[in-house]
Amino acid sequence: MVCTQEVLIVDDNPADLNLAQEALARCKRQNKISSVTDGEQAVAFLFRRGAYINQLRPNLVILDLNLPKKDGRAVLEELKSDPDLRKIPVVIFSTSQASSDIVRSYQLGANCYVSKPVDLKAYFAALQSIEEFWFGLARLPQGEGE
Amino acid sequence: MSIGPTKTETAPVAKIHVLQVEDNPLDSELVQRELRRAGFDFTATVVQTRADFIREVEEHCPQIVLADYNLPQWRGMEALAVLEHENVDVPLILVTGALGEVTAVECLKKGATDYVLKGALARLPVAVHRALRERTLRLQRKMAEHELAQKVEELARSNKELEQFAYVASHDLQEPLRMVASYTQLLGERYKGKLDETADKYIDYAVEGAKRMQTLIQDLLAFSRAGRNRPAQSDVDCNVVMKDVLQNLASSIDESGAVIACDDLPVVAADRMQLTQLLQNLIGNAIKFRKDNTPLISVKVERLKVESARIEPIKIAPIKTELAKNESAKTEATKVEGARIEATKLEPAKLEATKPDTAKPEVVKTLPANGFWQFSVSDEGIGIAPEHLESIFSVFHRLNTRAEYPGNGIGLAISKKIVEQYGGTIWVESSPGQGSTFKFTLPAAIGQAKGASA
Amino acid sequence: MSTTVDMLLVEDSQEDIDLALHALRREKLANSIFVVRDGEEALNFLFCRGTFAHRSFNGPPKLVLLDLKLPKIDGLQVLKELKSDPRTKTIPVVIMTSSKEERDVIEGYDSGANSFIQKPVDFDQFRETVKSLGMYWLVVNQAPVTDRRIEARGAAQ
Repeated sequence: MVCTQEVLIVDDNPADLNLAQEALARCKRQNKISSVTDGEQAVAFLFRRGAYINQLRPNLVILDLNLPKKDGRAVLEELKSDPDLRKIPVVIFSTSQASSDIVRSYQLGANCYVSKPVDLKAYFAALQSIEEFWFGLARLPQGEGE
Repeated sequence: MSIGPTKTETAPVAKIHVLQVEDNPLDSELVQRELRRAGFDFTATVVQTRADFIREVEEHCPQIVLADYNLPQWRGMEALAVLEHENVDVPLILVTGALGEVTAVECLKKGATDYVLKGALARLPVAVHRALRERTLRLQRKMAEHELAQKVEELARSNKELEQFAYVASHDLQEPLRMVASYTQLLGERYKGKLDETADKYIDYAVEGAKRMQTLIQDLLAFSRAGRNRPAQSDVDCNVVMKDVLQNLASSIDESGAVIACDDLPVVAADRMQLTQLLQNLIGNAIKFRKDNTPLISVKVERLKVESARIEPIKIAPIKTELAKNESAKTEATKVEGARIEATKLEPAKLEATKPDTAKPEVVKTLPANGFWQFSVSDEGIGIAPEHLESIFSVFHRLNTRAEYPGNGIGLAISKKIVEQYGGTIWVESSPGQGSTFKFTLPAAIGQAKGASA
Repeated sequence: MSTTVDMLLVEDSQEDIDLALHALRREKLANSIFVVRDGEEALNFLFCRGTFAHRSFNGPPKLVLLDLKLPKIDGLQVLKELKSDPRTKTIPVVIMTSSKEERDVIEGYDSGANSFIQKPVDFDQFRETVKSLGMYWLVVNQAPVTDRRIEARGAAQ
């Protein structure tokens, strides 16, 4: 059915990016993982601009909210306003547990919202749950990787 | 600034300026003589006309006005109108010939402080004394109120800043802390057993330290969040909250075999998340601080009416707003002591909820029209010694070592903050080895019929 | 009467309803699940009208599990109406359907579905699927807490 899926992780903290990659590496499925560290890069990646002109579109985006250059909320909004890109599920993965952030994210079209746990094990478990659900259980719109 | 009633009725006050409104020089001289005899240190000016009166009031600020009732061109009572117009707090005593009782009462009602008959001038000093003393008290109280308002504003601002600081600090600290904690753990996993024993030990210490910092910061955050924003208040069904709490505590309940018996709980006016936190803290503690047996925890509730005997008023005589008439009013006027503020106006349903075993009065509040519910969470655990019953509600206060019972000692401080935010109180009744009962009050939801629960 | 509902199940097949409820209740994933059997009821429930006029927009379900093939009003229409109204657009809606059409998948996500799941034919797999998605959407996921006052404050921030 589907071969390797691709995830784009957007997080400005390289330590967290590393953790995410570590977590996903421990999953059964070996997905392709791309990462960017600011909002502008994220938009360029997804809209295939500049250096990313030949970039394949990811099947899933894991997006932090507080990003330099362009804020995660702005990235989300742009992404979900585009007729092609809005099909891609976006998981907000953020330290913020503020109600306002959660509600706002859903209003902007986020598919779901997961708080970054403080505990390492829980952090890994959260990322693995995300991978398990979106790549193991849910059906995603057929991307370009196939 | 110390305020207190003057010691005796006739002790002379500081030099005062008396303004007399009198057209008969003999009468004005008699009045002055009476005042001198009583030991008053004063200067007096006598005026007859309205214009002179106004000028004297504007230019020489008298402390008291002694006015005749009937004057050739105007009436003594008109002087009152002038004083009001000039917006000065100067008592006016009518010193007059025969005055019918009805007229006298009317004058008092219109604002005259007192009246003294010219045929009974012996009464004058006492009347002047009282009028002046009351005026002093009035002025002092006004100043105190103003200072109070300023202090309150300052405190509120400072409080807000501190809370925001605490919130920002703990919030911003979380991320780097998470990095330290996660990576020391990963290091540990990766290299455990591959380096030497010392390295393993060091890694364990580092991880433990980092994890403790994390819980500490989370607790701090929770504590500062508890007072940070006005929470969305709505009618919350406590039974639903209990369900969530029990679910959240599922693993410790399973582990300890705890049995929790719960009354049918009411609907209260509070924020659902805070209520969950509150109940979870208390029940979590009840489970945590258990003895060796199966913890038996019971949650009860009872309705407190506005006049309930459970709420004890503090033993301070009420302050009346009209100081004039009654001499026996032992006015413990307003005190401004740091953050403890006692209201000055006596409103109808003003009572004070005090902890049964403390003498410290809390901030006085008016009760909500619907009254309170009083909740109690009882356990049969290790209990608390009497000397600690109050201090356990302080932040970071722990009575046991970390090895004996985990936790930072902030749960009860948070609970207290939550309860007090709604105008309730929280306290504990306990004896060592006999278990504890934590009680707290919360306002009943609006529109709830007495005793009925949703 | 407590009207907080954790999950709204929109499904017309009794068999599927039974399986789903069984899976969810067993794992104690949801405190309360409400079942409606057609698109019209689903909309009435979520828009607090008709027989559900007593419901409030504050405190919507954390998850709507929505079948596509429904009587009266079909799932896609329900989805579109939900996602186009600010009062309901933040409610997580997961489509769970037996349809294998890629077209449905695309249209679903395009219309704002939070996710799309294909109903397994096998009973056991069905239960497992419901259990897993319940786990993800009710425990891992943070559903928005819809409260007009919080939203107003959030907008002001």
